[in-house]
Amino acid sequence: MASIRIEGVTKRFGNVVAVDDLDLEIHDKEFLVLLGPSGCGKSTTLNIIAGLEDMNEGNIYFDDQIVNFLPPHRRDVAMVFQSYALYPHKSVYDNIAFGLRMRRFNRQEIDRLVKHAADRLEISHLLQRRPHELSGGQRQRVALGRAIVRQPAVFLMDEPLSNLDAALRVSMRAEIKRLHQTMQTTFVYVTHDQAEALTLADRIVVLKDGVAQQTGTPDDIYQRPCSMFVASFLGSPQMNFLRGSLKKEGDRVLFCRGGFSLDFPSAMARKLVGHAGQEVVLGIRPEDVDERTNSPTANCLHGRVNFTLSIGSDQYLSVQAEGVELFFRVGRDTRCADGDSVAIAVATDRLHVFDKETTQSLLW
Amino acid sequence: MPPRPRLRLSGVISGKFDFEARAAALFLLPVTVVLVAVAVFPIGYSFYISLFQLKLTRPHRVPFVWLDNYAKILTDELFWSSAWRTFSFTVMSVTAISILAVLIALLLNETFRGRRFLAIILVAPWAIPTVANGLMWKWIYDSSFGALNGALLQLGMIDKYVVWLGDPEKTLPLIANAFVWKEVPLASILILVTMKSIPADLYRAAKVDGANVLQRFIHITLPSLRPGFMLVFIYETMMAIRHFDLFFILTEGGPAQASHVASWHIYVETFRNLSFGTGNALAYVMAIVTFALAYFIIRTLGRRL
Repeated sequence: MASIRIEGVTKRFGNVVAVDDLDLEIHDKEFLVLLGPSGCGKSTTLNIIAGLEDMNEGNIYFDDQIVNFLPPHRRDVAMVFQSYALYPHKSVYDNIAFGLRMRRFNRQEIDRLVKHAADRLEISHLLQRRPHELSGGQRQRVALGRAIVRQPAVFLMDEPLSNLDAALRVSMRAEIKRLHQTMQTTFVYVTHDQAEALTLADRIVVLKDGVAQQTGTPDDIYQRPCSMFVASFLGSPQMNFLRGSLKKEGDRVLFCRGGFSLDFPSAMARKLVGHAGQEVVLGIRPEDVDERTNSPTANCLHGRVNFTLSIGSDQYLSVQAEGVELFFRVGRDTRCADGDSVAIAVATDRLHVFDKETTQSLLW
Repeated sequence: MPPRPRLRLSGVISGKFDFEARAAALFLLPVTVVLVAVAVFPIGYSFYISLFQLKLTRPHRVPFVWLDNYAKILTDELFWSSAWRTFSFTVMSVTAISILAVLIALLLNETFRGRRFLAIILVAPWAIPTVANGLMWKWIYDSSFGALNGALLQLGMIDKYVVWLGDPEKTLPLIANAFVWKEVPLASILILVTMKSIPADLYRAAKVDGANVLQRFIHITLPSLRPGFMLVFIYETMMAIRHFDLFFILTEGGPAQASHVASWHIYVETFRNLSFGTGNALAYVMAIVTFALAYFIIRTLGRRL
């Protein structure tokens, strides 16, 4: 059990800044996900926490104790790698036992702990096998077993599910969540998969170019993204973006683009009134709509259906409106054919507005 | 796709196969003829000769003696002592080559300034022809103006110049040293390539598991080097067993047969005593032993690759 504090950490590789003045507080027993596209510095951050990578500036504290110069094994961390990094010439048993042997546990204790960990991950029948005789999912379990057997204070996971196929990834996700619940330990988890981040995390840190863009609960990040980058990185299909400008009309604030205008609810209008006249980008999540054909009302986008994609439970509409292609998610009962005209009523209380220049949110 | 017809010479000649198969056989024919002429025929012919008592000093009396030559070899004390010397030369050389190759590979696997330059220098001995290498070491070991004597004297490690190659105790190790010097570069490259293929994540995992440098070397590097080691063992063992040039240039089997190894024994028997029958029989025995050894190494080391 440990809390981790990262203070002003900077890491440079030659001229490339991988992590740029990062501040981060990871609470005890928290499941924190570092999320970002490849090359954003998330793995480097994890390696710095593990002690596998030196930093150029800053401090790292475990429970208020500075650990900058402690080697990995003295930090009491365990790590799971994307490649699993199982020792290829050792049996599953020896793989799991290796860390304990290096720490000079006695033989009976090692045996007990290894078997306990194997039971927990349901790999007891594989203990005598070698890594190359295992499937991807089984290897992943062994890698987890190697991590949990030592009961470390902090779990570090570097894209542990990326090499698994889709179905297995979903079931292992649940397994990792369960592991976190039963182990009551701090987890730091790196991924580029927003679905993984949203399902697993207590809190998410979105990173880009080594800078933390936003930190918050999955709901926070999804519903109140602070920038266009965060907004577009989470959610599938991506958030729709529409350029336009803000206009003030009496008490109301309108988003205008050509002949199309949207009326913001009053709570939002109060935040936006100061930006009246400014060029902005409007963000609409695909699911934040109410699709109705032939009943044009206020706050409706009018367009033509390009095509529909069914995903079973729902369907995606590609709509050509206001000169751009927009994606919307509607119920499977909605019937519309390619080429139909539709009016999409936008849920105005869930709109997002970003500054066109800075791409930062004007709402949160 | 119809099954591909198996090429048989008879079928080709009798025109039983279609044009494509016959064309293929025709294209393969020249190289087959060359191979038969330079490889298959000599192998068969040397075995044939090994069944005769063929001495060039008595070219008109060549009796067929069945396996007598082989029986003679196997009861010859000099054959067994030369085989033993070949064995110790091989063990010495291959051990030294393996250890040095790992050390050099470990060095070249690190990144530091001048690594490329060092790599080129370390590979240089490989580029030197064997005979040139032999002559160079002959000068180095020379008893009156050799570099080894000069260096050791200046360092105060010897009082006067030593006849290095005249000491039966030292001859074999000194020749092995020259052999190792030439062979280490290739072995280093083979080991280095294997080393580079070890995933970095394994070392990171081991660091997190608490393994120190030595433990990481023992538990990750060494076992992962098995494929490279196998290549080095097989190749260098063959090279050492069959090695002839350095013995020819440096000592000619002496002093007092101290470097009279199996390959030298074959040479003496064949080209000095001109007994082609026993010479060929010896060569056959050596080929079989080399083959058996390679098979053994592949089976033991290669099984768990």
